[in-house]
Amino acid sequence: MRIGTKEERNEVFEALKDILRSADDRNPEAVENSTEETNLVTDLGLSSVSMLYLVIVMEDTFGIRFDDIGVQDFGTVGDVIDYIINKKGA
Amino acid sequence: MTVFETREKFRKYTTPETFEKIVEYPSVSAMWKACLASYAEREAIVDNGQTRTFEQLEHDAASFRTVLRKAGLKKGDRVAVLIPNCYDFAKVLIAVTTSGMTACVLPAHLDEQPVFGCCMKFGAKALVYEPALESKTAFAAAHKPDLVLLPSSAAGAVLTPACDADAKDGCLVMFTGGTTGKSKGALLSNGAVMQGVTNGCYGTAEVFGQRYLLILPLSHVFGLIRNLLSSLYTGSTLYICRNNKDMFRDIAVFRPTILVAVPALAEMALALSRKFGKNMLGDDMKTIICGAAAVPPYLISAYKTYGITLFPGYGLTESANLVSGNPEPDEKPDSVGIPYPHQEFRIENGELWLKGANMFDCYLNDPEENENAFEDGWFRTGDLVRLDEDGFLYITGRIKEIIVLPSGENISPAEVEAKFNELPLVQDSQVFEDLDADGKHILALEVVPRMSELARIAPEAQGKALSEALDRVNRSLPSFQRVNKITVRDSDFARTPSMKIVRYHKV
Repeated sequence: MRIGTKEERNEVFEALKDILRSADDRNPEAVENSTEETNLVTDLGLSSVSMLYLVIVMEDTFGIRFDDIGVQDFGTVGDVIDYIINKKGA
Repeated sequence: MTVFETREKFRKYTTPETFEKIVEYPSVSAMWKACLASYAEREAIVDNGQTRTFEQLEHDAASFRTVLRKAGLKKGDRVAVLIPNCYDFAKVLIAVTTSGMTACVLPAHLDEQPVFGCCMKFGAKALVYEPALESKTAFAAAHKPDLVLLPSSAAGAVLTPACDADAKDGCLVMFTGGTTGKSKGALLSNGAVMQGVTNGCYGTAEVFGQRYLLILPLSHVFGLIRNLLSSLYTGSTLYICRNNKDMFRDIAVFRPTILVAVPALAEMALALSRKFGKNMLGDDMKTIICGAAAVPPYLISAYKTYGITLFPGYGLTESANLVSGNPEPDEKPDSVGIPYPHQEFRIENGELWLKGANMFDCYLNDPEENENAFEDGWFRTGDLVRLDEDGFLYITGRIKEIIVLPSGENISPAEVEAKFNELPLVQDSQVFEDLDADGKHILALEVVPRMSELARIAPEAQGKALSEALDRVNRSLPSFQRVNKITVRDSDFARTPSMKIVRYHKV
């Protein structure tokens, strides 16, 4: 069961897409077609350094601080949205 | 053609005073004593909000030498070190190496069984671990009862002074995939380590009294030799970044002047600088030492606009990190530079072969790997190179099985394949480097399903069962080993006459 309202999730998803595009501009189509089920590694091809970029920009964009859990703990786009909404509510 | 390099080639890249200060020491002990004589009150390491001077680092190392001594360890013994990047790593490393012992540096992410395996293979008498990693010592404690376990937080009541060591005495055992990709330990002597540290001083104008930022893992020679030991050697201050995601906050506080980075990290910092419209590495940053993977030349001109000179280099674990460095990046952005001093090299059928003071002794307890690695006393790097008329080297390809990603991480296809091959549904697999539709380097996997197992599943559910099983394995791998693309084949791979899989070379 995902958390947050549909609007809230959409808003975070759109902002996340922007960040994903800038994290790796060589793969815009995959980002464009992504859904909450899209896997960050196997579908979008993000490397560990791209993931690091993602976290740094997400912290700035959403005004949150990620825990020390590794970014590799996220599987799908939906997992990231869950984490952000959870953090914003905390 | 065999070429022997001397240090004179590098004289013109710095001031005469700086050049004369670059002196050679036979051992880490000798270097450390010289550091203490010159820089005792200088700040050596900043970590977790605490600053320690060279003198304080020596005090803590001397206390830990006592811990080693009281545990019955002697000069010549090997001591495994399982500590992530932090001050205690530096303390333990100095204590072990200046006690005349050899530090076997284990990556902190290793699980308990590989930790035990390394202790056995490297012949370690003791294992020094960070208390937070204690659970990873349980398997070794149960299966090797004579292994001395020491937490890195231990302290002796008295101080034990450093002892002398010869250049030929063992200093480090570093974990590497090497030429064939099978994990093993490269034994580096004190002389080799110190040649590596000294060579890192050549080719840049600013050398001594720098402010270094540590991002790279200390279990890698680039982090250990070119970052930590170079910082100590040059009387610089090292700031240890504990979590990479905080590196830009750390930079704002510490204001580093030099960064040692893999290309992917340098690219990421550049992308962030462009996104946020400011130099994320800070106005004090003047130098980036970049290596461990191919350096995209555009990085050199892009960083120039921020007033930062990026120096590409080339090195191996087996060469104590440093083989060559490029002191003229603007003129020759594609080159990995001039080979460093006290190193002989020759190019055989395009492959670079090395000999010299910085080279490792052997892979520990691995006769087969040693047999394959050397030819007539030359180390075969597996890298294809060319040399231009000015003596600058260019990497043109690789003949190794190992895959080097832009992040500098070495992937052994065989190791990753073994994980997927454990699945009953998988007959065989191949991991290889590929380009996606947009030309991006990715790690790809092709599998041949085991039809007999697949037949036990309802036809309509087979695809889902297989893809879920593959995804589960992929998720269980360390992030750098995960494949980005999975293809299921409907026929076997092409095979050699000895039935080995014919490996793809798509990149």
